[in-house]
Amino acid sequence: MNAAVSTDELTDWLRMMTLIRGFEERVKNLFSQGLVRGTTHLATGQEAVAVGASAALQPDDWVLGTYRGHHHALARGMSPASAFAEILGRSTGVCRGKGGSMHLTDVSHGVMGSYAIVGAHLPIAVGCAWSSKIQDLGRVAVCFFGDGTTTIGAFHEAVNLAAVWKLPAIFVCENNRYSEYTPIDQVSPVAHAAADRAAGYGIPGVVIDGNDVAAIRDAVDVAADRARRGAGPTIVEAETYRHGGHSRADPATYRPEQEVEHWLQRDPVAAVRRQLEATAEPGRAEQVETEASDQLDRALEEALAAPEPDLSTLTDDVYARAL
Amino acid sequence: MTDSVHAESGTAPGAAEAPSTEGTDLGVVFGPGSPAVSDESGTAPVQLLTPEGERREHPDYSFDLDDEVIKGFYRDLVLTRRIDAEATALQRHGELGIWAQLLGQEAAQIGSGRAMGPQDFVFPTYREHGVAWCRGVDPLHLLGLFRGVDQGGWDPNENNFALYTIVIGAQTLHATGYAMGMQRDGVVGSGDPDKDAAVVAYFGDGATSQGDVNEAFIWASVFNAPVVFFCQNNQWAISEPIERQSRIPLYQRAHGFGFPGVRVDGNDVLACYAVTQAALRRAREGSGPTFVEAYTYRMGAHTTTDDPTRYRLSEDLEHWKLKDPIARVKAYLVRGGLADDAFFAGIEQEAEAMGEHLREGCRALPDPSPLSIFDQVFVEQTPELAAQKEQFAAYLASFEGAH
Repeated sequence: MNAAVSTDELTDWLRMMTLIRGFEERVKNLFSQGLVRGTTHLATGQEAVAVGASAALQPDDWVLGTYRGHHHALARGMSPASAFAEILGRSTGVCRGKGGSMHLTDVSHGVMGSYAIVGAHLPIAVGCAWSSKIQDLGRVAVCFFGDGTTTIGAFHEAVNLAAVWKLPAIFVCENNRYSEYTPIDQVSPVAHAAADRAAGYGIPGVVIDGNDVAAIRDAVDVAADRARRGAGPTIVEAETYRHGGHSRADPATYRPEQEVEHWLQRDPVAAVRRQLEATAEPGRAEQVETEASDQLDRALEEALAAPEPDLSTLTDDVYARAL
Repeated sequence: MTDSVHAESGTAPGAAEAPSTEGTDLGVVFGPGSPAVSDESGTAPVQLLTPEGERREHPDYSFDLDDEVIKGFYRDLVLTRRIDAEATALQRHGELGIWAQLLGQEAAQIGSGRAMGPQDFVFPTYREHGVAWCRGVDPLHLLGLFRGVDQGGWDPNENNFALYTIVIGAQTLHATGYAMGMQRDGVVGSGDPDKDAAVVAYFGDGATSQGDVNEAFIWASVFNAPVVFFCQNNQWAISEPIERQSRIPLYQRAHGFGFPGVRVDGNDVLACYAVTQAALRRAREGSGPTFVEAYTYRMGAHTTTDDPTRYRLSEDLEHWKLKDPIARVKAYLVRGGLADDAFFAGIEQEAEAMGEHLREGCRALPDPSPLSIFDQVFVEQTPELAAQKEQFAAYLASFEGAH
């Protein structure tokens, strides 16, 4: 069913996936070095979902992500320098250094925020979709969330409302099998935590290989087409895996070694790289990787050189208009 | 979850099959088997007594008890309607602050209420006056809450009937928690019919849109908790019609949660009894929750502060009047020669006495001491609360000095 993937597309995908992976590696190092406060949640292993979904979207569509959301933002075109700066708490960050790792937001790229409260952003995505519908904007809202979110009440309220109002929303579940430390199959009443729930709302739900960029792109493409036609929302469940722990505080020792090994063998970045090597001229993949790495090095350097926000900006950006 | 959960789901008789694909492009793109929009087939509710008072057979559910039981149901239905009418009148006379009417929903409440055993436990909304009646709660106790003189004047443990819950859907969580407690107490699936117990959680169609209900469904399903989720779909969430709350027939909501859902004629007391009994049996034996959608109609207002003529058509009301839950039982009894005039007159007399009991009792309900607001907040009074009570007592005493 996959439309043929061109070498150019594969090149773009590998570039972005390498960028995301390299970004996450650098973020991990920054935290380890104590250069950043708080915690962070890395998307290493889940790059394909963000890249595949973004490949199906228009520039003015919206995405909303979770606290594990660096990949969503970068895939939509957020500059790595401003993302690094945000995580480092610098004034050149996307939220002027006051949001941090869990709150990357960039409206100019349709990144309508990352949200630390599990499930809280689903109703916000529904609000975006509603605004598109009532203003006839033709834009879709893609909401990324984890498997654990399906057990949250807000999931239910958001999906039901989107279904009833036939809103242009796409609910993309990145099912990485664990809600923090709990295997999802221990707490989900259905085999597919997100997709099987669709039956209860009268909307379509599909399960796809979350490590296959083309499969995700195609699924989101169909869902976006439905959404724009006014046919309502779709649940897309992408089966994937996080290579690391839940957060930087989690060594993830609760996962069976064999399981981890199985998924490492299915690394989405390596898969795209193999595909590209099979079609492109020799050296293309290495070139892309070198370029991405250089881009990240420059971006990090730029971010580290930026100043911290001035104390006088503390109360800025709380409300649209200052009180 | 475990295979046993999946094996159980869908085993309830009459529970709907998994919905088929809508015929969208998704089936083409994603291949067969992608669950999609449900169809409307098979949505006819389980019915054992028609509006004309004729018995009907159903392949999965039957009512096997004798006509004396049905006469008892008739009495319950009439008295419940009287309780509701008296309370509504008392509110109009200024004796109650508000009242949530159940007019039209008597059969759903009596049918399900009578299906329970004494060991089962009920978590009601604020409209379960008929269920309260079945559980043996003095209707006068219901009035105290609406008069504002207590916070629910009955002991939940006395009749296994929890206090009314005003917050929409919140009691489904309490019910699920209580049911999980039953599992841990060893009173589920023991094989002893007198010991095995279950919980019935009542809620309305509007509550199905609440996140809390989603969380209750998830927990109950995953932990196989003995809960019957009894939804009285009275078509209106205050002024919001059901069509604006769900894209599918409500009982199909259960599909997304891995347990069976069944739609029953909520104005048919026999069918409500039979379906609830089957769901309770399933819960008590340890097979997990069931979603029962009692398809009914709120003949009255949402509460006495609501005017439904502002948002719904009187012809809908007329249509539902023809399906009255009491008239059909009376028709059945009269047509079959099962009850004579004396029977009906006797019940009418009882209803009159009930009316008097409520009218006089309501006016005689004592006003609470202002200090009683501090009671029954915690099982054991906290020092902070005790101090506040003392402070408030001193404050009140300062007024007495001023007189």
